[in-house]
Amino acid sequence: MKHSMFVAIVSDVHLWVPLCVLLGGICLLLTLR
Amino acid sequence: MGVAQISDVEKRVRALHTVGVVCGLAAGAWLGTAEAPVKLASGQVPPFIVTLGMVLGVFMARWTIPVMLKGAGFVLRDLRQNAHLIVWALIAGTLWVVANTLTVFAIKNVGLSIAFPLWNTNCLIGLFWGWLFFNELKGSGWKGWAQVFGGSLALVIGAAILAFATTGHAASTGANPKLGIAAALGAGVLWGTQYIPYRKAYISGITPLSFVTVIAFGELVSTLVLSVAFAGSFSNLGHQIAAAKPFMFWLFLGGFCWVFGDLFQQYAAKYIGIGRGIPLSNTNQLWGLAWGALVFGELATIDAHARMLVLAGSLVMIVGAAFIGTAAAPASERTSWSDAMNRECSRYGLDAERVVSMLKGDDPRANQKPPRRWWEMLFPICSLAALVWLGTLLRRPEVELNLAWIGILLTITCCSLFFSGMLLWKRTRFS
Repeated sequence: MKHSMFVAIVSDVHLWVPLCVLLGGICLLLTLR
Repeated sequence: MGVAQISDVEKRVRALHTVGVVCGLAAGAWLGTAEAPVKLASGQVPPFIVTLGMVLGVFMARWTIPVMLKGAGFVLRDLRQNAHLIVWALIAGTLWVVANTLTVFAIKNVGLSIAFPLWNTNCLIGLFWGWLFFNELKGSGWKGWAQVFGGSLALVIGAAILAFATTGHAASTGANPKLGIAAALGAGVLWGTQYIPYRKAYISGITPLSFVTVIAFGELVSTLVLSVAFAGSFSNLGHQIAAAKPFMFWLFLGGFCWVFGDLFQQYAAKYIGIGRGIPLSNTNQLWGLAWGALVFGELATIDAHARMLVLAGSLVMIVGAAFIGTAAAPASERTSWSDAMNRECSRYGLDAERVVSMLKGDDPRANQKPPRRWWEMLFPICSLAALVWLGTLLRRPEVELNLAWIGILLTITCCSLFFSGMLLWKRTRFS
C-alpha cells in the first residue's frame, strides 16, 4: 500500500468513528461476560 | 441541457430509486425468512453456536453468489481497484458479529419485548450517520425529512408494538436489567454504525457483490474468536459443534437466506442511501412475524387485545415503509450526495467519472468480462455439498409446521428474489 493511501486511511474520520464504536461494543461485551 | 436530456436524467433517477426501494423491501423479506430455519435450531444449541453455524453459511454464500454472478476475476479486480475499502469491510463484519452477540445478553437480561425495540433504533442511528458523513437528506427540504424521518420512526414504533404484543411482557429472569438495556442499545448503535462502511464503499464505486466477500472474513474471524472465548477453549468449542451437528443444516441454510437479504440491503444502501434503505429492510420484522404466526403457530395462544396490537403494529410499519418508499431524493439532495462522493474521490485518488457511472448503475467495466476459471465452480459445488452433508445429519424437527403456509411464503419470497434480481440485472447489471 502506498504511503499516501495509508495516510489517507488513518486520517479519515470514517475509520475512527466505527472503530471507536466497535471498541465500545467489545468493552461492553467483556463487562457482560 | 435540453428538456429531453433533463427528462432522461430524471427518468434514470426515478428508475434507480425504484430499484433501491424494491431491493430494500426484498431485503426485509429475505432477512425475515432467514429467521425461520434458525428458529428450528434456537433453544437446542448455545447462542454462540447458532451465530457460528449461521456465519459458516453466510461465508459460503458471500463467496458463492458473487462468483456465480460476476466471476472471481471481476470480484478480485474490483477489490484491487478499491483496496482501501478492505479495512472498512472487515470493520463492518466485526461490528455485525459483536452487535449480534450483544443481543444474546440483552434478551437474557431484559427479555425480547424490551430489547428488540431498543436495538431496532439502528435505522435511526444509520440515518444520523448518513446525514452527518454522507450528506443524506441535506437539501431534501422539510417534506423529505418528514417522509424519511417520520417513516423510520413509524417503522421503529410499529416494530416495538409487534415485539410488545408477540413476546409477552413478563419480567426477564436475567440478573441485571441495566446491563441488558445497555447491551440492547449497544447492539443498535453497532448495527447502525455498520452502515458507515456500507455507504462509504458505494460512494467509492465498488460493487456490493465484491464488497461483501471481504465482509465475510471479518464476520468469520470475529465469530470464531468470540466462540472460542465463550466456549472456554478450542476443544470445548469442538465438542459443542459436534453436539450441534443435527441442527447445523438449519443454521447453514438460515445463513444462506440471510445473505440474499443482506445483498439486497447493500444494493438499497447503494441506490437510495442508508437513511432510506435500512428502514425499508427493517420490515423483516413483518416477515419474521408471518413465519412465526403462520408456520410455527406462535400466535395461536395470544388474546384478542394482542391480536389487535399485532395488526396495528403491522399497519404502522407498512405506512412507514410507504412514506420512505415514496421519498425520492430531489435534485438538491443529489447534489449533496455528489459532494460526498467527490470528497471520497479526491481523498483516495479515485476516478470520479467511473464512480459517477457506478452510482448510476452503469458500470463501465460491465462489458469487459474477465475469463471464467474452472475452479470457480468449486464455490457452488462446496456450498451444495455442505448443505447435502449437513442434511444427512439432520434430525426431524420436533415442532409442528404448517406445510401449506411454508409453500405459500416460500413462493412469495422466491418471487421477490426473482423479480428484484431481474430488476437489478436489467437496470444495473448488478453493478
